[in-house]
Amino acid sequence: MKKKIAALILCVCIAALALSGCGSSSKKTLRVYNAGEYIDKTLLTKFEKEYNCKVVYETFDSNESLYTKVMSGSKYDILIPSDYMIERLIKENFLQPVDWSLITNKDNIISDLYGRSFDPENTYSVPYFWGSVGILYDKTVVSEEDAKEGWNLLLNEKYKGDLYMYDSERDSFMIALKALGYSMNTKNYSELDEAYQWLCNQRDTMDPVYVGDDVIDNMISGNKSIAVVYSGDAAYIMSENENLAYIEPEQGTNIWCDCMVITKDCTDTELAHQFMNFMLDEENALANTEEVGYSSPVKSAFETMQEEAYKGISAYVTRVGYDKDEVFAYQETELKSYCADLWTKVKAH
Amino acid sequence: MKQFKNLVRPYLIWSFILIVVPLFLIVLYSVTTGGNSLVNIQFTGENFKKIFEPVYMNVFIRSFKLGAITTGVCLVVGYMLAYVISRYSEKVQNILILAVTIPTWINMLLRTYAWISLLSDNGIINSLLMLLGLDPVTMMYTDFSVIIGLVCDLLPFMVIPIHTSLAKMDHSLIEAAYDLGAKPLTAFWKVTFKLSIPGVVNGTIMVFLLSISSFVIPKLLGGGQYVLIGNLIEEQFISVGDWNFGSAISMLLAVAILIMISIMKKIDPDENGGA
Repeated sequence: MKKKIAALILCVCIAALALSGCGSSSKKTLRVYNAGEYIDKTLLTKFEKEYNCKVVYETFDSNESLYTKVMSGSKYDILIPSDYMIERLIKENFLQPVDWSLITNKDNIISDLYGRSFDPENTYSVPYFWGSVGILYDKTVVSEEDAKEGWNLLLNEKYKGDLYMYDSERDSFMIALKALGYSMNTKNYSELDEAYQWLCNQRDTMDPVYVGDDVIDNMISGNKSIAVVYSGDAAYIMSENENLAYIEPEQGTNIWCDCMVITKDCTDTELAHQFMNFMLDEENALANTEEVGYSSPVKSAFETMQEEAYKGISAYVTRVGYDKDEVFAYQETELKSYCADLWTKVKAH
Repeated sequence: MKQFKNLVRPYLIWSFILIVVPLFLIVLYSVTTGGNSLVNIQFTGENFKKIFEPVYMNVFIRSFKLGAITTGVCLVVGYMLAYVISRYSEKVQNILILAVTIPTWINMLLRTYAWISLLSDNGIINSLLMLLGLDPVTMMYTDFSVIIGLVCDLLPFMVIPIHTSLAKMDHSLIEAAYDLGAKPLTAFWKVTFKLSIPGVVNGTIMVFLLSISSFVIPKLLGGGQYVLIGNLIEEQFISVGDWNFGSAISMLLAVAILIMISIMKKIDPDENGGA
């Protein structure tokens, strides 16, 4: 009998040990899930102090990994995904509507950013950063004439072995589809096959290296002369290395907008709204955009930056109203897994 | 004794939850389709069939080749290192073995980043070469950079088991071999190496396993186009979201590894009841 009791006590102890990690403090907490290197971290401390709460901040490396993480049961209050992923999360009934009356700083937002196709009424999303995808190149190596080729520069054998591609399925297909003159949201399988051929051809003739965030360090130290990058990263890199220039190819590109959204798991919606409002505050937005280099959705911050820290850096100002530019749209599951499969094959060759 | 048996029970439950259940899930995922939520699943062999497409088979071949090269380099370098260490007095040996393990105290990512700044096109090594008036060499994003990263990371796993085998060897055996007229090379091959085989087998298995399933080092030092089995599995789980296919690859890898370990174990005289 005694032994059984001892065993029972042991079990309880182990269970207590396992569960003690879940102990809750009285402070309110906000769980934020954002892309890596995408915030001025001092703002988080500032927010914690101002609203007497604790921010649990985690980062992801792509929209796809955000989706997998969230779908496999991780709970967050605020996510900061891109347009097409927001559309998907809305369609899969994963988000709560935003109460715009609580966002008192909403008038600070650039009006162009409202009503984009992924969330036409802005029911669920509050803009966080926006920009484009383009080509960053070394002016001392790549001639201006070659740079004018736009996406076809990435097939110019003069620069074989001298370029970085972005290791992302949708962006790579966007490049290939745009270079071929198709829409980047195509649902036509033969166009996708052509894009796949384009990417295979590029891989074989150009020896590109597919990189993630390490492109930033690599381009700053000038390891290669051409890279496909997001505009904000480009702005940051250009402010560190003055030999570089950035172009948005005339074949059109991806004009994206990352937004803050509230998940259905969020219980303290008041705090979540306070966080979104906090990020749109003019002063905070300025600190944030200065730190990461992406175009701020807050008008005053966006304009100040063009005058000051990112003066003369073309990548900071995203092209607006060009008819060949598009915004990513949601892909049906079948189409999505078809593309994922092709992309795996491009890389695994 | 009996009360100890009872004490083991919570541990058994624990290991069942942490080892058997996940393994079962991987097997289940690998033979079904119908998404990651396991709500409406159907049994299928499609996932395994897909692996046998040439593209994925290439990934397997490339990974095994790379694993073999890494293990080979580790074996040669690690054996020499272990041998040299085992020649010193016990006190010095302890310090030297400590020195071998010191790099593992530093985070693996940090060490890999150090390799990046050493090897990159405008990195430290190339800057030195240019100072000496030589042409720069492309080292990053090649087989070379991946192998050097893996070897650097895994060398301690080879040195330590070999050193353990060598350290417990009786030196009078070698003297006996010399007395019987063996040349140094013959004595090494027939006595020293034979006695160190258990360490060699353990080290080889460990380094090989770790090198073919690694994915961080190939990704950072080889770039996104350097896809090994580990990267393929990671991608299926993290970005593609096809857990069924990812599980099937993991299963196949596990089976391949099991077969290899059982072959390797055959070489080990300790396991065969003495050679």
